[in-house]
Amino acid sequence: METVRVACRAMATRFEIILQGEDPVRLRAAGEEALAEIQHLEAQLSFYRPTSALSRLNAKAAQSPVKVDARLFRLLQRAKALHAQTSGAFDPTVAPLMRCWGFVNNTGQFPSSQAIDEALARTGMRHVRLEAKTRHVTFEQPGIALDLGGIGKGFALEEAAWVLRDLGVERALLHGGTSTICALGAPEGEEAWHVALSYPDEVDSHTPESVITVVALRDEALSVSAEHGKAFVKDGKTYGHVLDPRTGWPVDGAAMAAVVATDATATDALSTALLVEGENGQSILDASPTIRSAMILCHASDTTYDVYLRDLSVQPELVRVNQVVPI
Amino acid sequence: MSEKPATDHGRRNFLKKTSLASMLGVWGSHEVVRIQPAPAIITPQTKRRDGMNIAIIGFGPWGREIAETLGQVEDATVAAICDNYPNMLRRAQRSMPDAATFNDYREVLSDDSIDGVIVATPTHMHRQIVLDAFDAGKHVYCEAPMAHTIEDAAAIARAAQAHEEELVFQVGLLYHTDPQYRSVHQFVRSGATGNPVFARGQWNSKQSWRRVSPNREREIAQNWRLDADVSTGLMGEIGIHLLDTASWYLDELPTSITGFGSIAQWDDGRTVDDTAQVVVTFEGGSNYFLNLTLASSFEARNEVFHGTSATIMLRDSKGWMFKEVDAPMLGWEVYARKDRFYKDKGIALVANATQLDAQDMEPWEDDPNAQTPLWHALSAFVENFQFGPYPAAAGYLAGYQSNVFAIKANEAVIQDGKIDMDPAWFELT
Repeated sequence: METVRVACRAMATRFEIILQGEDPVRLRAAGEEALAEIQHLEAQLSFYRPTSALSRLNAKAAQSPVKVDARLFRLLQRAKALHAQTSGAFDPTVAPLMRCWGFVNNTGQFPSSQAIDEALARTGMRHVRLEAKTRHVTFEQPGIALDLGGIGKGFALEEAAWVLRDLGVERALLHGGTSTICALGAPEGEEAWHVALSYPDEVDSHTPESVITVVALRDEALSVSAEHGKAFVKDGKTYGHVLDPRTGWPVDGAAMAAVVATDATATDALSTALLVEGENGQSILDASPTIRSAMILCHASDTTYDVYLRDLSVQPELVRVNQVVPI
Repeated sequence: MSEKPATDHGRRNFLKKTSLASMLGVWGSHEVVRIQPAPAIITPQTKRRDGMNIAIIGFGPWGREIAETLGQVEDATVAAICDNYPNMLRRAQRSMPDAATFNDYREVLSDDSIDGVIVATPTHMHRQIVLDAFDAGKHVYCEAPMAHTIEDAAAIARAAQAHEEELVFQVGLLYHTDPQYRSVHQFVRSGATGNPVFARGQWNSKQSWRRVSPNREREIAQNWRLDADVSTGLMGEIGIHLLDTASWYLDELPTSITGFGSIAQWDDGRTVDDTAQVVVTFEGGSNYFLNLTLASSFEARNEVFHGTSATIMLRDSKGWMFKEVDAPMLGWEVYARKDRFYKDKGIALVANATQLDAQDMEPWEDDPNAQTPLWHALSAFVENFQFGPYPAAAGYLAGYQSNVFAIKANEAVIQDGKIDMDPAWFELT
């Protein structure tokens, strides 16, 4: 049994595929085709490329209906369904709000109430109309913009996994930036691929003490969202880049959220939504029949966490865990 | 097919093409450079046909790209997809549920509802399909290189020539229809860069070029690019676009090609080099250096044309001009945006998203009509069907000559030696 790793950069992150099989040359060829599919999807779905199908939508759909290809239309339908399942906590039209808070290219700025209201008026999946018969997409509000970054990695991994299966690959682990993972089959001699989840502020330490739980994946996907990166301080309060699309304000929902389900597009969206909802995210889990397990980490103190778990168990003797709450 | 009455569509399209590049200079003097408008590709003003029903023959990776891009071309419908491999048809049904699927291209050609075909099969299979398509009265877009032998390329070109009064033929040399490349071409031809000194091009992409399939027989067929008997190698499949651009920009044909080839990374029993280089001498005496490799991805693709007054660099959809310090002032460059490349300052010929974001513009607001080179090429094909037939920007002669160029470049690489080019090879007799 041979193991081959292939990688590429796409969607501002590093995608990697680990493949197992008999013939390394054929494994590599399959991995390359899967990576090519990921790069192709980036070109189609990028918010930042003016030539992408998504940019064409964003440029024209407020003026007149825009016809899109079948795959993009199905993805938009799924985005709408996920928006509904999460009661709006996941919303791919959140770009005006992100820009309003300066999180697109800067480290943040405190906007006026008027600016937030104006950005909120241009946010909301309810303003995106999908006509299934003709595959036309219309924005019913000027200024609406779709940014599929919240589900792009998951969708790309799903499509890449489809390509691998189509080529006869039975054992592979795919990930985008280590935050979204898709497992095909299991490694030789094992029941599943095992993925360690660490504290959000210890992801680079790789020590046993930094691991909260180990997730076993077989023909499933896992996404992890965490509050890291862009934030700014004003009047002693920290404003992070996790925005609630419904209020337009940054939230102190959760420090980290992880979801395991059958499809990576859903895990991507749901982990984002759980980050917004925090410990109140149980309703999202109940509304999503494809979720197998989940973990939500909330700050208990500066150094400890409350851990909310569904169908997962924590490692023993975790000093940084204040309490474990089944949900 | 009945003719429709004259409409305004022809003039609107004419204006769209000539004004695109001139629009580039309008949006803010610190953003982009005002350069010569791209010359009009089309002149007819009478729309003779409406929508075009297109069949794609060959649904590999590039066929799929073509299918998706056609979904964004006005008046184009992907009516049918043909591939002789069932797995590809399954992918077609998944991604293009509205299109009929076929495993024999002759069934496609016998369908009167199909107006034109796009031939995206392996290169060595193009000839028969294209000739049969012409016989069936179909308009043809044939991927580049048109053929793996000069004889086949000539057969395709002659057939296109024989049918040029009634059928459109366009070859997949994308950059002849790309507004950015066309505008820069005019810029170079206008003499703004001075006399040509030398030029260089590269395409670096680390990948094995192998394809895999659960079906072993299919897998052998899929790996035609690695089969020395039918493949035109890196020079044919990739290099043709860069070689063609060099020849087009210089407006010269090559007089000699010296090639080098090696296997730097993928020592897996293949006989087609994974790294290939040529030095081409053009009629005017300047040299062109082309590097292609499957073993390294650094700097991906770029093309650089050195002139005595300025150097042009093309990367992705962007272009820059690097002026010599003693070159005459053109005036507008004082206002143009400049990007630093190590110690050199490049005058941007095209705006990019980073600059736009600094001005609070969304990426699509700069040019809401921004499209890929493939989109422009396919749009040109559809427009030619609607308003033509007229000579395509990338027609049979350009297709034939670039094909000869690429085949000879590949031969030079295989020989690790020099080939003196006979001008007669480029003549279509």
